[in-house]
Amino acid sequence: MSHEPEVPRKRYELEDTGFDEVPRKYRKYYRRWGGESDELAGNEVLCPVCKVVVRSNREVREGDRIYCMACMTRLRVVRVDGRLEGHVEY
Amino acid sequence: MSGPAEHDPHALTPEAFRAEVHSFEFWFGAVQGYLADRAYGHRVDAKDAAPEGADRDRLVTALCNYCVGETAALEGAGGLIEVAPNRPTKIFLSTQAVDEGRHLEVLIHRLRELGVEDPEAEIARRANPSLLAFKRRLLELVKGGDWNAALFAQNVILEAMEFAVFHQHAAEADPITREVLEGIIKDERRHIGFGENELGRRIKADPGIRGHLALVRRELDALVLETFEEALASLGAPASAREDLGRSYRQTVERLGFA
Repeated sequence: MSHEPEVPRKRYELEDTGFDEVPRKYRKYYRRWGGESDELAGNEVLCPVCKVVVRSNREVREGDRIYCMACMTRLRVVRVDGRLEGHVEY
Repeated sequence: MSGPAEHDPHALTPEAFRAEVHSFEFWFGAVQGYLADRAYGHRVDAKDAAPEGADRDRLVTALCNYCVGETAALEGAGGLIEVAPNRPTKIFLSTQAVDEGRHLEVLIHRLRELGVEDPEAEIARRANPSLLAFKRRLLELVKGGDWNAALFAQNVILEAMEFAVFHQHAAEADPITREVLEGIIKDERRHIGFGENELGRRIKADPGIRGHLALVRRELDALVLETFEEALASLGAPASAREDLGRSYRQTVERLGFA
């Protein structure tokens, strides 16, 4: 059985976008959601609980676990209809 | 490279994450971000463009009912500190009680800015009977020490609906009311998340809890939904806004396993 080598993840340089609902040291990991027309980048997932965009400094992939600090939720990244979504994991 | 020095939240263990976000230290850093330059929930130099006539009257009614909801949440959160099962949840609830007290204060202050001379009397006069019934029942659950049911009533039913209504209202409100509501919404994110996650973990460990909470839901959610649908209708929100309110609430309870 052969395994395809995993493609390295793209890295992202995060900048503070003005999200002010978490302590300063965490702010760059979150941004406001601009509504249905807001296209998420490869390192971003929408929190289904509080509708804040959660960001990582690397590309997110199915199976990753990330946190929304604005509403204290742990999310598992899943692929739905070809799109990556955050599902709540209690 | 990512690492602790970068404070990457996604590198935390689930236990370390919960300890961090439930702490008073986290709360303090969070609220400083959006309240440090505010007085009574809005910028000091913000220009008031409050509605007049019938529109002002409808706004006063909505704010009075928000005050009833926030009073329920204040008394509920305060009472739940004693009932909470462990120290981190007690500490989190102490931050929620502070938030709810602030909400009540800024809403009463806004009523005064709108020319209401005696907000307490006005709240008593305009309070929706359904919301008052919800408040009485919530506080009975708290006094009875029923952690699961009281948390569900307060942090899921009440907070989720307030979160949705304040969103809808803020989008159409005058600038100062909007700033006041937006500040409250930022606090509410923590409260709804805390309630859903705490109950989600407890239901996962003991699915039998769900049956008990379904009874609470059947008894209470109509009272709150009715109140806030009325509030949105009186503020002139389109039917789609009222549908959004119901949808947002349903999504929350569906995630917890209620069809």
